[in-house]
Amino acid sequence: MRRLRVLRGYLFTVIGIVIGVAGLVSLGAMSERIVRFIEGGDRFVLGQISVAGRGMGMGTGFTAGGILPAAMIRAISDVPGVQGVQAQIMLPLDPSTSQFMTVTQELVLGVDLSVPTPNRHYRTLPVRRGRYLHQGDRKVAVVGASFAASRGLSVGSHITLEDEDYEVVGVLDRMLTAPDRFVVVSIEDARAQWVAKDRLLRTVLASGGMALTAADLNTGAAVGWRDGDDPDAVAVRIKERVSGVNVQLPSELSRLLRSSTAFFSALLVGIGALAFVIGGLSLANTMAAAIFERIRDFGVKRALGASDLQLGGEVLGESLAVTMIGGLGGIGLARALGWFIDRYLAQAQQLFYFSPRLLGGALVFSILLGAAAAIYATARVVSLSPAEAIRRGA
Amino acid sequence: MLRAVGLVKSYRAPTGRPIPVLAGADLAVKSGELAVVTGPSGSGKSTLLNVLGLLEDADGGEIWFEDTRVSGLGRAGKSRARGRSVGFLFQSFLLLPSLTALENVLLAGRYVRRSSATTRRRAIELLQEVGVGDRLDHFPAQLSGGEQQRVAFCRAVLNDPPLLLADEPTGNLDDANGAVILDALRGRARAGAAVVIVSHRPEAAVGASAVYRLRGGVLES
Repeated sequence: MRRLRVLRGYLFTVIGIVIGVAGLVSLGAMSERIVRFIEGGDRFVLGQISVAGRGMGMGTGFTAGGILPAAMIRAISDVPGVQGVQAQIMLPLDPSTSQFMTVTQELVLGVDLSVPTPNRHYRTLPVRRGRYLHQGDRKVAVVGASFAASRGLSVGSHITLEDEDYEVVGVLDRMLTAPDRFVVVSIEDARAQWVAKDRLLRTVLASGGMALTAADLNTGAAVGWRDGDDPDAVAVRIKERVSGVNVQLPSELSRLLRSSTAFFSALLVGIGALAFVIGGLSLANTMAAAIFERIRDFGVKRALGASDLQLGGEVLGESLAVTMIGGLGGIGLARALGWFIDRYLAQAQQLFYFSPRLLGGALVFSILLGAAAAIYATARVVSLSPAEAIRRGA
Repeated sequence: MLRAVGLVKSYRAPTGRPIPVLAGADLAVKSGELAVVTGPSGSGKSTLLNVLGLLEDADGGEIWFEDTRVSGLGRAGKSRARGRSVGFLFQSFLLLPSLTALENVLLAGRYVRRSSATTRRRAIELLQEVGVGDRLDHFPAQLSGGEQQRVAFCRAVLNDPPLLLADEPTGNLDDANGAVILDALRGRARAGAAVVIVSHRPEAAVGASAVYRLRGGVLES
């Protein structure tokens, strides 16, 4: 009871720490969100060799480029070191919107379900509810978490894509990277959508000017490699042996991805540093001020016989409890704030990611910094004579 | 019980000039004696009491509790000596505002590691003896000045210290409450403690074994 009352005496200190830690955790969670996005993309591109048809076309995302005909896909399969080629189509869901910010773009991904996904890091996309696509599925879709949330979709819902009705059979786990905004369909359905979207392609097909079959309508392919082979070497080999394709070396694509997100990386380092300094200063200042405010009490306790060690232990115990409560409160406040913003203001996008390492780090950071500030302040206080402490606190 | 020899203490003015407060003060108080120190405001009475109670160090001189030269002890030794041997009563009571009356009294036992059950019993007895037994759970802000000083008195005597130092203990009290506190201090002297009261009120000297006047930094009988 007395301890509770002692802590109640620290109410404003706790509130100050809650606010400081909430700021730290909120900014950190935004940084973590960006980090997760970049890491997710990096992991994806390092798990496969991405190939697209040479030229410009409707395709977007990792397989942006011109048409990649079936013959080329077969030729790629024959390249030594290649194990598994999955034809894919990536299309912007809405071609009328700007393609400038690809990180927030909604995409239709069509995959050839007769071939196992060659990506070593994403053999299957994680499904939270429902199921993933099966070979032979038509007019059904699996949607990313953000896509589903922004439209209120769940398993059994229906969406219209190019005037066709699709049933949602699965919703992906939130991955905090590109697939969160994907609509995944069979490649046959994606081809139909591509034709419906692209007037030029329709004209070409109707004219009979190009000998194209449905199987030729691919924007790219995901290519796997045999165990023990170097993916970059296999990619170079594909480039050398198959003409008319754009081949992305995994390491090169990773480097490109990282350089294109360098601004975000720098931004998040800045945000993290700022959060660290602001949150840390706020916390340390609040804790030290709380100790200095009680200087008279410490003088009285020393007059009653408290040794430096006893007083230090007492203050340290209290400050640990205060910073722990403040730290937990700050984490709770930041999570509530993040939830509210994600739920009501961010249009179902997830702006915050409260990773365990962030929460654990913030708590340990707040406790250690609070304790350090308390030790510093206590050392200053006990360096005074009891009479001086009482005089100053009067 | 208490012997102080040649106490010297000065403070520094903002200009850096030393301001002498004690200039060789001597004092001896035996167990069971009540000594009263008077003097005008600013004469150094409180400083003398602080130095005697090891709340601040003198620049020179010696202080003995019984056969121990406590002025030569280190910080930890002085803390122990304060806890075991000295009880303080201050003009402004100096109760901790976040603690109840009972908890404030018990605070004196915490740092000398007295058994909690015995100490608690003794604290309640003391509070009842001075007439605030019905205020155990009240916080200082809920008590009158007289009640606060009674609680402070109980805290000062909880460990039965052989030396009791009171700095203007009636300075913030009305006559009736002041009389209660002075009677209680006299009672401690009768019970065997060495008591030193610093006060400018003449009634404090009633029943005193010795009355000193602090003048020019020295004590005059």
